[in-house]
Amino acid sequence: MELHNRIAVFRAEQGISRRQLADAVGVNNQTIGYLERGDYKPSLELALKIAGHFGVAVEMLFSLERFEPIAATFKRAGEDE
Amino acid sequence: MKKRGRNILSILDNAVRWTGFPARVANDMSDAPSVDRKHRPLRWSPIWPIAFACILFVISFMWPSALLTSLGAVIAGMASSIHINGPLGKPSLEDDEREAALRKDSFLFCLGLLFFLNCVGQLLFLGLSILQNWQTAQRVSVAASAFMLNLTLLGCLPTLYASWKMRQLPKE
Repeated sequence: MELHNRIAVFRAEQGISRRQLADAVGVNNQTIGYLERGDYKPSLELALKIAGHFGVAVEMLFSLERFEPIAATFKRAGEDE
Repeated sequence: MKKRGRNILSILDNAVRWTGFPARVANDMSDAPSVDRKHRPLRWSPIWPIAFACILFVISFMWPSALLTSLGAVIAGMASSIHINGPLGKPSLEDDEREAALRKDSFLFCLGLLFFLNCVGQLLFLGLSILQNWQTAQRVSVAASAFMLNLTLLGCLPTLYASWKMRQLPKE
């Protein structure tokens, strides 16, 4: 089963490098790269650490279903308002 | 005499330093986190020792010789140096969960394959030695070559598995 994530989006939004995120959560910076590409599924501990670093719930970062594009999320949010 | 002895010792020291192993051991034993840990994939180089060890193993069936076993030992040594320089390297306290999982998967794959090959190989060895009435020298030669092939596979297969599983990451 594929695990989708939005680590790269959150990292770009906060302007931090892979190495900075890796140091913050205590892994090798290559691991962040493999996580972003979906080549490695993190442990629950690592997923919680990454979510904690970005200050969001873990479901915001990881999902078993494909994330909808950010533009669609904003559009939907606008329609709801 | 003393000076000559000292010269020989310093030449030997330099030769050992030249291999790079003292620096590697010092780095591994130091408490400081190593900034530049290399985990480069080796996708092709482990194939050569495996191929040579297989060829020696096949040759040992036809021409039993102690030279083949010695060559096998050299190849097994090459395999262990490939393992140290590969993506798995030496287990370290700095390894994270992905590296530990990769190491576990690689060794599980390798040991599973070796288990299967050894089970089949032992039966074949027993059958052939009885059917062809092998002499002791031939039995020893084949068994020694099989042992060296095992060592080579143990050194190279996990590296090969991990290298092909680790795709190159794009530069940030």
